[in-house]
Amino acid sequence: MKKAILLTLVLAVVAMMAVAATPIKIGAVVPLGDITGDQAAKAMRLAVAEINAAGGLLGRPVELIVIDDELKPEKGAAAIEKLATVDKVDFFVGGMGSSVHLAQIPVMKRYQKITIWIGAASYLCENAVGPDADWYFHLHPWDYQQGASYGLGWTELAEAYPEIRTDRIFLAYEEGGFGTASHESYVALQRLAQQGEGAWAAIMNDYMGVSFKSAALGGGDYRAMLQQAKTYNPDLFIWAGYDADALPMLQQAKEVGFAPEFFVGAPPGWPAHFGDSPLAEGVTLYGMWAPTINKVSPAAEHFYNAYIEMFKEEPATYFAPLGYTNIYFLAEGIKAAGTIDKAPLINALEKVEYASPIGEVLKIAPSNVIKHQGFTAQKILQWQGGEQQVIWPLELKTADPTFPFPSWEGR
Amino acid sequence: MESISFWKKYKNILFLILLIVAVAIWKPHAAIYGLQRGSLYALAGLPLSLTLGIVGIMNLSHGDFLSLGIYIVYMFSVNTGMDPLVSILPVFILLFLLGAGVYKLTITKVLKAGHLNQLLLTFGISMILLEVMNLIWTSRPRSVYVDYASSSVTVAGVRFGTYEFLYVVFAIAVLIGLQLFLKKTRLGQASFAVGQNPRGAKIVGINTSFVYLIVFGISVAILGIAAGVMVPRFAIFPSVGSSYTMKSFCLVAMAGLGNLTGILISGIALGVGEAIVQSIPGYAGWSDIVFFGVLIAVIMIRSIRRPSL
Repeated sequence: MKKAILLTLVLAVVAMMAVAATPIKIGAVVPLGDITGDQAAKAMRLAVAEINAAGGLLGRPVELIVIDDELKPEKGAAAIEKLATVDKVDFFVGGMGSSVHLAQIPVMKRYQKITIWIGAASYLCENAVGPDADWYFHLHPWDYQQGASYGLGWTELAEAYPEIRTDRIFLAYEEGGFGTASHESYVALQRLAQQGEGAWAAIMNDYMGVSFKSAALGGGDYRAMLQQAKTYNPDLFIWAGYDADALPMLQQAKEVGFAPEFFVGAPPGWPAHFGDSPLAEGVTLYGMWAPTINKVSPAAEHFYNAYIEMFKEEPATYFAPLGYTNIYFLAEGIKAAGTIDKAPLINALEKVEYASPIGEVLKIAPSNVIKHQGFTAQKILQWQGGEQQVIWPLELKTADPTFPFPSWEGR
Repeated sequence: MESISFWKKYKNILFLILLIVAVAIWKPHAAIYGLQRGSLYALAGLPLSLTLGIVGIMNLSHGDFLSLGIYIVYMFSVNTGMDPLVSILPVFILLFLLGAGVYKLTITKVLKAGHLNQLLLTFGISMILLEVMNLIWTSRPRSVYVDYASSSVTVAGVRFGTYEFLYVVFAIAVLIGLQLFLKKTRLGQASFAVGQNPRGAKIVGINTSFVYLIVFGISVAILGIAAGVMVPRFAIFPSVGSSYTMKSFCLVAMAGLGNLTGILISGIALGVGEAIVQSIPGYAGWSDIVFFGVLIAVIMIRSIRRPSL
């Protein structure tokens, strides 16, 4: 009898040790050839390293498996399939690109593992996920939330600085899916504004959108579009394109003598050393994070320093702190739930409040369609002296806005 | 008689000048932008015409060699502070050596194989170049800032940039240089002969392998010239030159094989057509359709004129 009890105890200890040694597996899908995916993956590795150094989660180590989707929908979908069947991960995290995510969502629905996604802003993705996917958490603001947050931002800026006007808005949009979706959302916002509704109601009177071919897609001649913008004479000139368009567009704006009141760029990332160019001074941008947030957020400062120490490079895209947030948000949920079982973990994640390096506290709330949406707003930033300064939200402000856009003379 | 032959010889150039003047009266910016960008298309298209006309290879890695040239110019600028226009000379030499090396190591192996094998090989080279650039420099765009690249003047109330007129100057200079090379040098004449009839050229003692090597090297080297003038105005990323493969091929198809002057005329004509469409509010997205539409129309007109072909 004693032998049987001893044997049972030994087996129980061995089993517990085996479970404790089994890592919690997180499967990430990101485009590693792109800076957004590369830096997000690095930030995820940093978070996992920190968590493991602190003893792991529930006494178990955390393992991160990263697959490169090359921003290709078919590869993104295949990556989810592999993570579920070959690597047998416990959770899915990632990733960038709405078109890639649209291909991944049906596969995710098949496995219904808890998924925390930091990119893919198109409302089409939200519709594809649907209202019943309680296992799905989306951290990046949806496109319509971004549009509304910009409206709120410009309204508050106009209140804080009465000389700022945004009556006439010109959107230069790249002719692909990203730019066209931006144009459509501005058309919808203007329609609402004309009816006295929406975040732009008090500040947008007139709107014009003109497409251009992005340098990233073989274009790069913006002069015809800039001539039209110059004729329109907007208060707010916004371009929705890619990082490859940033400097050539400014160069050509200087060439045609176009200097609007605000020159706003809304690409997903910025070219290397953009801030060093004299043309960058005074360019306004939309984004979720900038290194200057370190001044007002200890979480941002910790992330920034730890990232540089580990990778010997500066995080240059907001997908870096988002990637870090991606892992920590999940970790906080697991700690609160005390298990990785699905139902209690979903409940715990719904209640997590995580002070993220983005600068805000991450909390989950429903959006138009899904139950679990994280951040709902972007920030308005501005290049000043080679750095991105936060000009809105006013409570996170790191500098006053430079207004109007500096003249091209001497640049 | 003389006036008829003059008309025959220069009718395309005269037609192009008339087109530019007419567009300049209607839409001055479209004429200027079209002339500038069209010349750049021609500058990138001339070496492809040379390769296709003499070596007989459709080089699908054409645009990627251009991207590589752009990165080399960038590296010269970042590491030595050299002006992109000055770096044209060393980049020309480096790309010549690279082109000759790639030819010797790979292209020679498929010269006698079918066109499909040649296409697959150059497609493979294109992929390798693209990935190597991605690995070394990543996909994040870079740039070289020179203040003169965004300088402008105002003439008769029309403000326009002056830098891109360098594209016109370089395209004409490269065209003249190639014409002189092909007509006035022994190697050029040998190249011309090889392009016309490789077997005959070999029989009369021309070293066709050497000619192919030099011509392929020169073709890649000319892309270094295009790279040097492009860098001050373009974002630098691995696929920056990719679209020039198809555009260059269109120009060759439009101008006809071996017609170097036709490349310049076609490039400018297509550039002006593109600029006109871009200048019409709401129709900028149609410019590519115009580009390829004009190409299809020209090829169809040619085939109707020469039904026996």
